[in-house]
Amino acid sequence: MNKVMYLEFERCIGCRACQAACRECGDHEGLERNYVDYIDFSENRQTFPMICMQCKNPACAQVCPANAIQITPEGVVLSASEEKCIGCRNCTFACPFGIPKFDFEKNKMYKCDMCYDRSKHDIAPMCASVCPSDAIRFIDHDEMMQLRRQRVQMNMIEGKKPSQDDKWNYVPEFFGVYSD
Amino acid sequence: MSDRYFYSTAAKWSFVGFTVLVLSTWIASAGFEHVDMALFGYYIAAVICMIGMVVRLTLFFARPATSQVLKRSLKQMKAEKKRASKAVAATTVNNIVLQKFIWERGWYRWTQHMLIAWGCLGSFAITFGLTFQWMRFDLIDIETYQIVVFNIPTIKMAAHGLFAELVYNGLNITALMLLVGVLMALYRRINDQDVKVTQRFEFDILPLLMLLIVTVSGLLLTVSYVFFGGFIHHELALFHQLTVIIFLCYFPFGKLFHLPVRPMAASVPMNYREVEADETRVCAGCGTRYATDNQVEDVQAILQAQTIQLGLSDGTQLSDYCQPCRRSMRVKMQLNLMNGQLPTHPVDTNTGMSMPGFGRPKETKGEAKDETPVR
Ligand code: HEM
Ligand code: SF4
Ligand code: SF4
Repeated sequence: MNKVMYLEFERCIGCRACQAACRECGDHEGLERNYVDYIDFSENRQTFPMICMQCKNPACAQVCPANAIQITPEGVVLSASEEKCIGCRNCTFACPFGIPKFDFEKNKMYKCDMCYDRSKHDIAPMCASVCPSDAIRFIDHDEMMQLRRQRVQMNMIEGKKPSQDDKWNYVPEFFGVYSD
Repeated sequence: MSDRYFYSTAAKWSFVGFTVLVLSTWIASAGFEHVDMALFGYYIAAVICMIGMVVRLTLFFARPATSQVLKRSLKQMKAEKKRASKAVAATTVNNIVLQKFIWERGWYRWTQHMLIAWGCLGSFAITFGLTFQWMRFDLIDIETYQIVVFNIPTIKMAAHGLFAELVYNGLNITALMLLVGVLMALYRRINDQDVKVTQRFEFDILPLLMLLIVTVSGLLLTVSYVFFGGFIHHELALFHQLTVIIFLCYFPFGKLFHLPVRPMAASVPMNYREVEADETRVCAGCGTRYATDNQVEDVQAILQAQTIQLGLSDGTQLSDYCQPCRRSMRVKMQLNLMNGQLPTHPVDTNTGMSMPGFGRPKETKGEAKDETPVR
C-alpha cells in the first residue's frame, strides 16, 4: 500500500455519505464503523468524520486480554477475530481516539479496518471514495505532503493562531499504512 | 511449588501437568494393570498437546492484559462471592454452553459451531477418558458390562441394551456431529464473500480440513467394521491414529487455541458490567456515564504496564473520557481549539512518518525538542 488516508476535518459538510458507504463494505455486515460527530454542538454545527488511525503500537490491541485484534502484514489493525473476542470492551476504553464499537448482541467488538478487502488491493476505502467534499482522501504520500505544505504557507489553521515554530503541529494528520 | 526449581514458569506447569496425567492413569488403571497399549500413540500425542497448551497459556497469561483479567476475577470473587458466582454461572451457561451470542450472528453459524464444538469436546471426553484410563468397561458376566470410573465401579449395563449401544456409539455420534458442522463451516468459508476479507488458508481452512480428515477416517473405521467385515481395518486404524496425533499436536498452536481462551468470557459480567446501570463512571469531559470504575482502573493499569502514555497535562488520562469526547478532543487538537488539557506525551499512532494529533512532540520547556515533525 503506498497511499495514505488524509483527513481535513473542517471540509466535512455532515452529509454522512461515508457512513452509508461504510455499511456497504465487505465484512461490515451492514453496520457503519466510522463516525460523523459535531466538534462542539454548543458553539456551531461543524461536523467531522472520524476513522481508525491504524496505530503502529495500537493501544486497543495491547489491552485486549484475548489477543483478538490482529495486525496485517501491511499494518492494518483489523476488527476483532470472531472466535477470540470475549466481549470485554477494554479496547473501546483504551483507544485514544474512541474508535472501536461494540455489539452487545453478537458480543464482539468491530472497528474500522480501512476496508481491508479494498485497501489491500490499493483501492480507496469506501469513505474516501464517496466523500463529496474531500474531507477524507486516499492519496499519494507526495500529494499529501504538498497539501500540508500549502496549508502551512497559507496559515490555514483554525482557533488560536500557532506561532511560527509550531505551525506544523496543526496541519491535518495523515495515516494509513504507508510503506515505500 | 516455586519457580526456582525450573527454567521457566511454562516448564513448571508442564511438569505439573505431566505428573498429574501419569498419576491419574496410575490410579485409574490400578497401577497400570489395565493400560491399553493400542492407545499408546494417543497417549503420547495427548501429552504433547497438553504441554503445548500449557506453554501457550503461560505465555498468554504473561501478557499484562490477560493477567489483569485473572487478578480482577480473583478480587471480585472475594469481594462479592454471591453475585460473582451467580454471574459466572449464568454467563457460562449462556455464553459457553449454549453460545447464544453466536446465534445472534446467525442460525447457520450457531448450528455449525455447536456441532463442531460439542462434537469435538464429546470426542475428546471419550478418547481421553479411555486413553488415560479414567474410564473403562469391565466384563462382569457374558450379559453385563460395568463402567469403571477412576477405578471405582459404577453402573452396570446389559451388553446389548439401548444404553450400551449409545455408549459404544458415542464416538460415532460425536464424529457425525463434527462432520456435519465442519462441512457447514467449509461451505460457508468457500461461498461467503464477507469471510474471505480476512480469511487465511493456513489459519482458517487448515483446521477445518484437519477436523474433516480426522472424522472421516474415524467414521471409516466403523464403516469397515460394520459393513465390510473389517476390510483394511488395521490400515485404517493406523491412518486414523496418525491423523489424530497430527491434529492433537496442532491443536494448541492454531485457531483452535480459542478453546482454552474462551472461558475468560465467563468473567466479564462479573468483573465489569451485568446491566447497563452498573456503569457509574462519569466522563471527565461531558459527565455522561460510560464505563464501570473497575474497567477504567484495569485499562489504565494495563496501559501503564506497557508504558503506553495517554495522559493529559491536567492529570487526567484519555480513558477518563467517554468515546465521543475522545474523538472530538482529537479534532480540537488538530484544529488548535483545545484549551487547557494538552497531551503530555506523543501517542505512537503513525507509521513513523509524522507526529499527528495527540502524537505531537512532548512539551520540553527550555530544552531542545527531541522530535521534529517530518516536513
Ligand atoms: C466450548 C467453548 C467454545 C467456544 C465458546 C467457542 C467460540 C467460538 C466462536 C465465538 C467462534 C466464531 C464463530 C462465528 O462467529 O461464526 C468459533 C469458531 C470456531 N470454533 Fe469454537 N468455541 C468453542 C469450542 C470449540 C471447539 C472445542 C472446537 C473444536 C475443534 C472449536 C472449533 C471452532 C472452529 C473450527 C471455528 C471456525 C469456524 C469457521 O470456519 O468460521 N471451537 N468458536
Ligand atoms: S472487546 Fe474483544 S477485541 Fe476488545 S479488548 Fe475485549 S476481547 Fe479484545
Ligand atoms: S482503534 Fe484506536 S488504538 Fe486501535 S489502531 Fe485504531 S486508533 Fe489506534
